[in-house]
Amino acid sequence: MNILVFIKQVADTEARIIISSDNKTLEIENKYVINFFDEFAIEEAIRIKEKIKDSRITICTYGPARSIEGLRTAIAMGADRAFLIDSTNYESDDPLIVAEILAAFAKKEGFDCILCGRQAIDDENANIGAMAAEFLNIPHVNCITRLDVLENGKVRVESEIEGGKKVLDITLPVLLTTQKGLNEPRVPFITGVMKAMKTEIITIDPASLDVPKETLDKNASKTIIFSYEAPPQRLPVKIVEGVTSGEKAKALIKALRDDVKVI
Amino acid sequence: MSKDVFVFVESKEGVIRKVSLELLSKGKEIAGHLASRLHAVVIGYQINDIAESLKVYSDSVITVDNELLKEYSWDTYTAVFAELIKRYNPYMILGPSTVTGKDFFPRLAARFRSPMVSDAIGVDFDDNTVKIKKPLFGGKILSWVVCRSDSMIFVTFRPNSFSIEAGDLNGAIVEEHIEVTRDPRLNIVSVEKTISKKVDLQEADFIICGGRGVNGPENFQILEEIADLMNGRVGASRSVVDSKWRDYDDQIGKSGKTVSPKIYMGCGVSGALHHIMGMDTSKVIVAINKDPNAPIFQYADYGVVDDMFDLLPILKNELQMVKEEV
Repeated sequence: MNILVFIKQVADTEARIIISSDNKTLEIENKYVINFFDEFAIEEAIRIKEKIKDSRITICTYGPARSIEGLRTAIAMGADRAFLIDSTNYESDDPLIVAEILAAFAKKEGFDCILCGRQAIDDENANIGAMAAEFLNIPHVNCITRLDVLENGKVRVESEIEGGKKVLDITLPVLLTTQKGLNEPRVPFITGVMKAMKTEIITIDPASLDVPKETLDKNASKTIIFSYEAPPQRLPVKIVEGVTSGEKAKALIKALRDDVKVI
Repeated sequence: MSKDVFVFVESKEGVIRKVSLELLSKGKEIAGHLASRLHAVVIGYQINDIAESLKVYSDSVITVDNELLKEYSWDTYTAVFAELIKRYNPYMILGPSTVTGKDFFPRLAARFRSPMVSDAIGVDFDDNTVKIKKPLFGGKILSWVVCRSDSMIFVTFRPNSFSIEAGDLNGAIVEEHIEVTRDPRLNIVSVEKTISKKVDLQEADFIICGGRGVNGPENFQILEEIADLMNGRVGASRSVVDSKWRDYDDQIGKSGKTVSPKIYMGCGVSGALHHIMGMDTSKVIVAINKDPNAPIFQYADYGVVDDMFDLLPILKNELQMVKEEV
């Protein structure tokens, strides 16, 4: 099985983020990690390879040079090769553009199955999977919780739907997005880390891929971030007064009913 | 291209989802600003009743009624919706940031190579430019996104982002006939719906969330009782789900669901940052914890320092009395 995994390096949850004084740019503390949901994609690819020996796992990211760190982690976990599509001179926030570039890479490399996280925890878009599948004209399934490779060129996937679960058999090639519950991502062994240090990460220019010229234009995005702002601050917490639980419960109800009028 | 606004109406077992009415209310305001028309778009099977009840919320109700559209699947829904877009040429297409909306809106946007803003929470206008408010980095930052006006635009909004206004329009129902074919590459093996009677976590107005302090799956009973009383849902923190006390479906936080109910009540939840990211857009946050130093108190509007097992049964009775008064 030829497996591609799309990953993204994102700011860690704990990273400090400062809005510039003109509200137009963000300064992000240099603490980056592999997107939480992408770890399940890498792990699932490795588990497929453990079952089907004749498999190859290729990791790909579209991002700046610092993303190489995440690619090395994926190799250390057990992936075979990794590519960095360098976004330095191109638009990289618009999901439509990112998906089109990743799809072009997939088309060039060839694949049976693409795995990626259900959403990135920085922009929280949840778009890349379905958009890339559309550009590749292949089926997608979002938020899978179980994956079994069948013998007849199909996969059986269980996925989350509104208030339940759905099981589908899908003809390959396919794109699947991953989430918590699918597996437990492994921590790389030291031997894996050493292998990753020696592995060459291939950097490619998006211009070498078959994407429309307009997509690579600096102003290709039709959406523009106009400004950033900090979320509204809540007032300091009001600790409900009372000695007994009964008094506290009454005081809380009173506040919810009379002060903020939500019950 | 017209300046018309489309709202994808999602329903569940024949009932229109609250988020769809929220979007129609906001859609009416947007169409008003753009001096254009608002269309409610309903796709499904035997949807006459739904269509009828939508007339007051929109200038027209576009329906595609077909047995193959009974259960949602991205292949049929994307194809039908794409055909409607070609027929009507709308400017803005609004949908819910739910499992369904997140599934087929990106495919539609890619099919038309049109921009998409996902998981938005607000809209504003700068003259004739529409500005969309969208949280980033788990709500640590809010961004305002503008789209070039020469392009159609897709936007999905989080449930509970807008209030529902009383409908005062009188739209006509327009039945569109579109041939529906399933993608032969997809074969449904089974569909299992577990808690279909209850409101979805992301749409609930009231959420009572249990943390590590609940101390075991059996102790969630009192939380369930309060949730039922308030027509809401029980949520869970990550450690609770990791301990298998509750299903992943209930998890609130960075690695679970993002919720914005009217009331969020955290019981025995310590308030780790990844949890706060999933609930800090709630209207009122109540924290109940016996540890006065629990971080959650920094994010709450109201705090109760008490043992939840003493407090919750009394709270339930008090809430019951408030309910009976109304």
